Amino acid sequence: MIPFELAEPRSLAEAIRLLDPDDGTVRRIAGGTALLMMKAGVFWPAKLVSLRKIENEYAGITARTDGLTIGAMTTLADLERSADVRRYAPIITRTLLTLSNVRVRNVATVGGALAHGDPHMDLPPVLMALGASVASISPDGKRGPIVGGARGHLHVSGVPRPLRRHVHRRDQLVLGQDGLVISGEQVFHQKETDAVKSARIVASAATEKATRLNAALLRRTADASVEEAEFVADARGSVPYKRELMRVYVERAVHAACTKTGRTDGHA
Amino acid sequence: MLEKLHTTAKVGSQIGRSLPRTESRDKVTGRAEYVHTMRLPGMLVAKLFRSTVAHGRIKSIDTSAAKRVPGVFHVVTIDDVRKVMPDAYYGPAFHDQPILADGKVRFVGEPVAAVIAVDPHVAEEAVQLITAEYAELPAVFDEVEALTSNVYVHDELRPAAAFADLKHLKGIKNTNVALNYRLRRGAFDTAYAKAAHKFEHEFRTQKALHLSFEPHATIADYKDTGVTLYTGSQGPSFVRTEIARLLGWPENKVRVKVPYLGGGFGSKLYIKLEALALALSMIARNPVKVALTMDEMFYQITKHPCTFRIKSGVDEDGRIVARKCEVLWNGGAYADIGPRVAQKAGLTAAGPYDIDNVSIDSFAVYTNVTPAGALRGFGVPQLTWAYESHTDMISRALKLDPVEFRRKNLMRDGGQHTTGQVLKDAAIEKVMDLVLARMDWAQPFDRGTGVVRRGRGFAIAIKAVTTPTTSVAIVNISADGSITLSCSTIDMGQGSNTVMAQIVGEVLDIPAETVRIAQCDTDVTPYDMGTLGSRSTFHMGHAVRLAADEARQKLDQLRRDLGEPKGSNISISDLFKKRYGMQAGNIIASGVYKPDYVSPDPETGLSANVTPFWMISGVGAEVGVDTETGHVRIDRLINVIDCGKAINPKLVETQISGAALMHLGFTMFEKMHLDGGQITNASLADYKIPGIRDLPLMMENLTVENIQHNGPFGAKGVGEVATFCVSPAIANAIDDAVGVRLMELPLNPEAVYRALRAKAGRPLEVA
Repeated sequence: MIPFELAEPRSLAEAIRLLDPDDGTVRRIAGGTALLMMKAGVFWPAKLVSLRKIENEYAGITARTDGLTIGAMTTLADLERSADVRRYAPIITRTLLTLSNVRVRNVATVGGALAHGDPHMDLPPVLMALGASVASISPDGKRGPIVGGARGHLHVSGVPRPLRRHVHRRDQLVLGQDGLVISGEQVFHQKETDAVKSARIVASAATEKATRLNAALLRRTADASVEEAEFVADARGSVPYKRELMRVYVERAVHAACTKTGRTDGHA
Repeated sequence: MLEKLHTTAKVGSQIGRSLPRTESRDKVTGRAEYVHTMRLPGMLVAKLFRSTVAHGRIKSIDTSAAKRVPGVFHVVTIDDVRKVMPDAYYGPAFHDQPILADGKVRFVGEPVAAVIAVDPHVAEEAVQLITAEYAELPAVFDEVEALTSNVYVHDELRPAAAFADLKHLKGIKNTNVALNYRLRRGAFDTAYAKAAHKFEHEFRTQKALHLSFEPHATIADYKDTGVTLYTGSQGPSFVRTEIARLLGWPENKVRVKVPYLGGGFGSKLYIKLEALALALSMIARNPVKVALTMDEMFYQITKHPCTFRIKSGVDEDGRIVARKCEVLWNGGAYADIGPRVAQKAGLTAAGPYDIDNVSIDSFAVYTNVTPAGALRGFGVPQLTWAYESHTDMISRALKLDPVEFRRKNLMRDGGQHTTGQVLKDAAIEKVMDLVLARMDWAQPFDRGTGVVRRGRGFAIAIKAVTTPTTSVAIVNISADGSITLSCSTIDMGQGSNTVMAQIVGEVLDIPAETVRIAQCDTDVTPYDMGTLGSRSTFHMGHAVRLAADEARQKLDQLRRDLGEPKGSNISISDLFKKRYGMQAGNIIASGVYKPDYVSPDPETGLSANVTPFWMISGVGAEVGVDTETGHVRIDRLINVIDCGKAINPKLVETQISGAALMHLGFTMFEKMHLDGGQITNASLADYKIPGIRDLPLMMENLTVENIQHNGPFGAKGVGEVATFCVSPAIANAIDDAVGVRLMELPLNPEAVYRALRAKAGRPLEVA
């Protein structure tokens, strides 16, 4: 690790002024857990802009009738312990219990988890499956939604990252193991038919980036998902294996979502 | 003589006491001292520039830009080292490792140059500016290939003088074999030819890492009058000897100080960064620290990958009549202690079975990868993985009950071990029986339904302790009666300080907590061969017991000299006052222990006495295998060892659980991935070690208490023992669950899945 400058602005506006989208050595940090890359010598910043001390309003969870608003500076631990989150989207609570470890969750933030863009992260595919929308702010001060998720492994633009997001009340299921995260979301309570009205399936970790899979028909979903995803091999498994894993997990996710138990026979 | 001394020690309240580790408070409150965080006045810091090629001739090294970085004092290559140390090669078995690459590089990550700077950040920045050009040479990575390859890692072999049995290898060219240990018992060929059933299998293990949580770190402080090394070492006495040899100095000019270690597991044995730190301090003429990062440990020392070809002949009655073991140890680019692993593990390669005709060949082989050394078990876990999988496969093939098949073939006390030594105090069958009892082996077993299928398996193993080795201890009674123990056993988390204090307390009849253990400093703590191979409780335990016993005798003598009546309860401090007229003086007592040993016959490898005690372990595993993903869930892990007499039962238990869980990682997922000699997952982000979610759902850590007749208070070593059987027990359970047999570690989900697909006749395409 080489020496660097650390800025701790007191306001978001000041933070934005300190950033320079054209200079890759100037980066913002929230919880700072991604600084592992500095220790590994992969990333040598000249300046880090900490968002820790900006206005409080960017942290916190607000429950509304149609969903949740979660501040980007909300820690994963706060998200994990929130009664509102548990009520509106219990899958987030379940996911967080298996995500990293308590020390990381205590400092890592929701905004950071999205901005970091590592496909191995567990939260982005869950939020994508839930149809979360993201409010962001650009250097010229304009606010606007960012559609979609991460742009791929460790490639996230230098502009400030999402500040608020919106999650609709839903439940779904996440299955993840051995380098694959599958999130399946379902809209249930179709009382008469018990049919699935719509579904979102998002895969990550085995893939270059978190990917929403558009396959619609339940029966063919698993096979079709495999065709859609772009897999990457790593120390956790080869591409042929991950493809098989995807097939199994998608099938399990869809099945479990339909039975509302959130459980399957296998080791999920 | 041993028996007599042994019985003079009074058995009181300290032995068998689960005293909490005496250093725990210092550690958990951040007060314990480690080399990694230590600073000396005027200390400079070095960082290393490492080879990017696996085998190559160094054409040039450009250090000019690095030298210009402000805060950089020196940029050092082997040419600079040679000016202060003409023969800059080190190593315990072979003097084959240059302090910095000398003309050639032999593995990716080998240190080629070092930057000495004012702080680590400056040094690191400068390292990035060094460039080197190599003429790449063909390289060899696999141990099987290396045995017959015409690519040679070394031009000629350079055995160290300390190992008499390696002398004949001096100057040998055109080989990658650093040692070939052989054992011949009976006549394998004839017996195998006649056997009713013949089995032949090949098992492999992967390259994996110790990953102690404190990486390697050494500070050298060189002065013309003497050198002091502060080093995270498991073997300070060896460091002193080797540094003295490199300097051509007497040992008393070399001082080695070792504070606490943040784990070792065999990675900090013999000599690691010490020679380099010494050379850099000689050049800088200042104290210099070399401290690795976690990631750099992937280029320091690893576990041995191993290929084990095993053949057994079984007669009509289910008796194993012949066994042939051919074991190849992938030792990497420098021998380190690999030849000793090949030899000492080799002698138990046939397992805990009574077989009349045995042939063992165990080869330590050089390759172009990070060197391999001792890792908690000294090679035995690799062997057990093979022979206990093989045993299970035989019993399945012959439709024999795996318990009865083993029972029929077990070695038993009074019988001979493969080496010819008569077996004593080896509770093999008792250990197996306790494993089976805890698993309710005789009861029906739930095999699961649907996607997850359940199975169970077990394994048993035997190991000899590295012999012959010596330990020396000094007990010092101060005039107020307080007692200090000086010994060079290193407490690296296993609790040796606590156990040694208990032994002193037992003999001198005082609470163990009142005994001070001197920090290891070779100026004052006497010789010990090393904290390795589960030898300390037995060897140093004896030396400490003997020293304490001598101190007790000297106290008794002092009482008699001063005319105290027999049975007088005069306090020690009053005794000193009476003797010296004030609070003054010391009683110094010492103890030395070296077990008897008979060198194996060089032709047959046989010996009537290869080890003073045997380590025995057994593991039972219950698993659930997800047949759609290959994921294995470990429902139960029963770890049992023969611990002799437990001096500290709680510490024995934690040694068992620690050893088993460490080996669970090597069994299930830990693997250094290599691509053309490059390690592609050289960081903790990509090299997975066990976390809380990887633990068995239920785990039991049990002992069979079985007095070791020649052990201190009946004790024997336990540190490695629970590592031996984890891999084969789980592999046997997987076979039991889903009928697939894995021949290579780790047993990761993809490996299990591929085996399931192959069994179903639909093999998964190769990646």
